[in-house]
Amino acid sequence: MTSDNSTTRQPRILVVDDDSDVLALLAKWLKDEKFDVVTVSSGKDALAQIGITRPDLVLTDLVMDEMDGMALLSEIHRQKPLLPVIMLSGQAKIPDAVKATHLGSSAFLTKPVEKDELIEQIRKHLHLSGDNSNGKIPFGEDIIYRSSVMAELIEQSRAVADSDITVFITGETGTGKEILAKAIHDASPRRDRPFIGVNCGAIPEQLLESELFGHEKGAFTGAMTQHDGLFKAADGGTLFLDEIGDMPLDLQVKLLRVLQDFQVRPVGSVRSVPINVRIISATHNNLEQAVKEGTFRADLYYRLKVVPLSIPALRERPEDIELLLDYYLERFSRKRGEPKKSFSPEALSHLISAPWPGNVRQLINVVDLCATMNKTDIIPLSMVQKALGEEEGDLRTLKDAKHSFERDYLISVLQLTKGQVASSARIAGRNRTEFYKLLNAHNIDPADFRKPPGN
Amino acid sequence: MRKGKGKFLDKIIVQCDPDLEDLIPGYLNNREKDIVAIRESLDSGDFEKVRTLGHSMKGSGGGYGFDEVTRMGSRIESAALAKDVEGVEEALQELEDYINRVEVVFS
Ligand SMILES: Nc1ncnc2c1ncn2[C@@H]1O[C@H](COP(=O)(O)OP(=O)(O)OP(=O)(O)O)[C@@H](O)[C@H]1O
Ligand SMILES: [Mg+2]
Repeated sequence: MTSDNSTTRQPRILVVDDDSDVLALLAKWLKDEKFDVVTVSSGKDALAQIGITRPDLVLTDLVMDEMDGMALLSEIHRQKPLLPVIMLSGQAKIPDAVKATHLGSSAFLTKPVEKDELIEQIRKHLHLSGDNSNGKIPFGEDIIYRSSVMAELIEQSRAVADSDITVFITGETGTGKEILAKAIHDASPRRDRPFIGVNCGAIPEQLLESELFGHEKGAFTGAMTQHDGLFKAADGGTLFLDEIGDMPLDLQVKLLRVLQDFQVRPVGSVRSVPINVRIISATHNNLEQAVKEGTFRADLYYRLKVVPLSIPALRERPEDIELLLDYYLERFSRKRGEPKKSFSPEALSHLISAPWPGNVRQLINVVDLCATMNKTDIIPLSMVQKALGEEEGDLRTLKDAKHSFERDYLISVLQLTKGQVASSARIAGRNRTEFYKLLNAHNIDPADFRKPPGN
Repeated sequence: MRKGKGKFLDKIIVQCDPDLEDLIPGYLNNREKDIVAIRESLDSGDFEKVRTLGHSMKGSGGGYGFDEVTRMGSRIESAALAKDVEGVEEALQELEDYINRVEVVFS
């Protein structure tokens, strides 16, 4: 609902059905409840009305001639991702219901529908019902911001958290794509089920398919045991497909198929199994461009991009920088049990106008580096410049030192676990995605550690 | 060859929501049109049309208070799906009978 109409008029409901008797009945029910009702008998008219009458909710039939309810739903969400859409269907086909909720339908009801149930659902999705339990769930408490661009983004994210709608997050590296995805999961009805992240770019192409979909014992050389796959592991929860832009083309086809019928077929299996996961994907690439260049499938792109959320780069929201610096200085001091340090005014203004190519992740590193290196409580401009890598000098060597320490560490952990990434990540206190990113950065292949000794 | 609303037929009393009083006559009238349309479609072998008509009836009947219409619509839908002419005709006959005998009270 936009703020200009929520207080001054009754909620407006657009009702779409090609059966005039159903249309008349629904209109009557809704008018009795003092809703403002607009009726149309086709999907095409519905789309036209959305621009003109600006409904607060759409109630649509599923099966209609020409444009059916599902096509209408996708089209509505391309234009207005937050507009609640309730579907009415003549038959309760579960796959339709699942597909509809992933495409963003708020509810799926079966005809003949009971008046009370319908009204209750409508009130719920207009957020008019007394039951506001979802409003109480805190959203993304660890996401720090002050800028209005971020406030808007967080508001949008909160609004979509409540449903199963497929979310697509873009933003430069380090802008917070993963913490936003997690925040959405944590505020969703799936919050008590797993949130599983997978970095589609870090896993070797041959392994990615079985990682995602699972495999049968003996499905390929090295498949010693049956493996469930991440779709299965995320059952009932959320699967976070990170760096989706790096997914190889032939796997894109397979993923598309999974998202079309919400079933997966493990590698080497003849049977498909139904899956119940919410999909959130993310990328720092420009997928629009990738689609044009033919490296990313357009049909998959549209299926993923039901609700696009774009996180602005840190330099586009400098208002947030001071708050973030303070938050991470505080965290640093608490972790170390040391008094909290602060930046000198010149250092601060320099930080606020820095370009931050690595965004919030870079900011955290800079804070940690400055807080570690600086022996006094006030961090001066010169230290900040060093930490930002703007000065040559001994910091270069520190960077190198960190790099080679990290590399040695990774190697010894992998030796210890014989190349088991999951347990290595656990030991290193990183999630698998981050761990793979580290391995990638150092060009280390965990498979090298799995070979039997003596080779 | 439709039977008139014979006075000698027992009435079937159905209670409907008084709020729907204005809509009910039109609704029943549309079902009479459906019956004609289904007969015609059956004659031309257009089972898909029969199925959709049955399907819509199934979806709307209960909402107006006519659970029987929903039930009959459902029978017509599945019979049409099976291309079962007799099944459709049987359900249609019952529907027609029902429409002729139904008397709505609003309470
Ligand atoms: N608004 C924020 N408030 C507090 N911490 C944040 C914020 N945004 C990002 N961070 C922190 O910055 C780091 C990077 O965030 P995250 O991993 O979510 O970024 P990303 O966009 O997924 O990066 P990449 O593209 O490199 O995968 C994390 O430690 C995260 O907790
Ligand atoms: Mg990330």
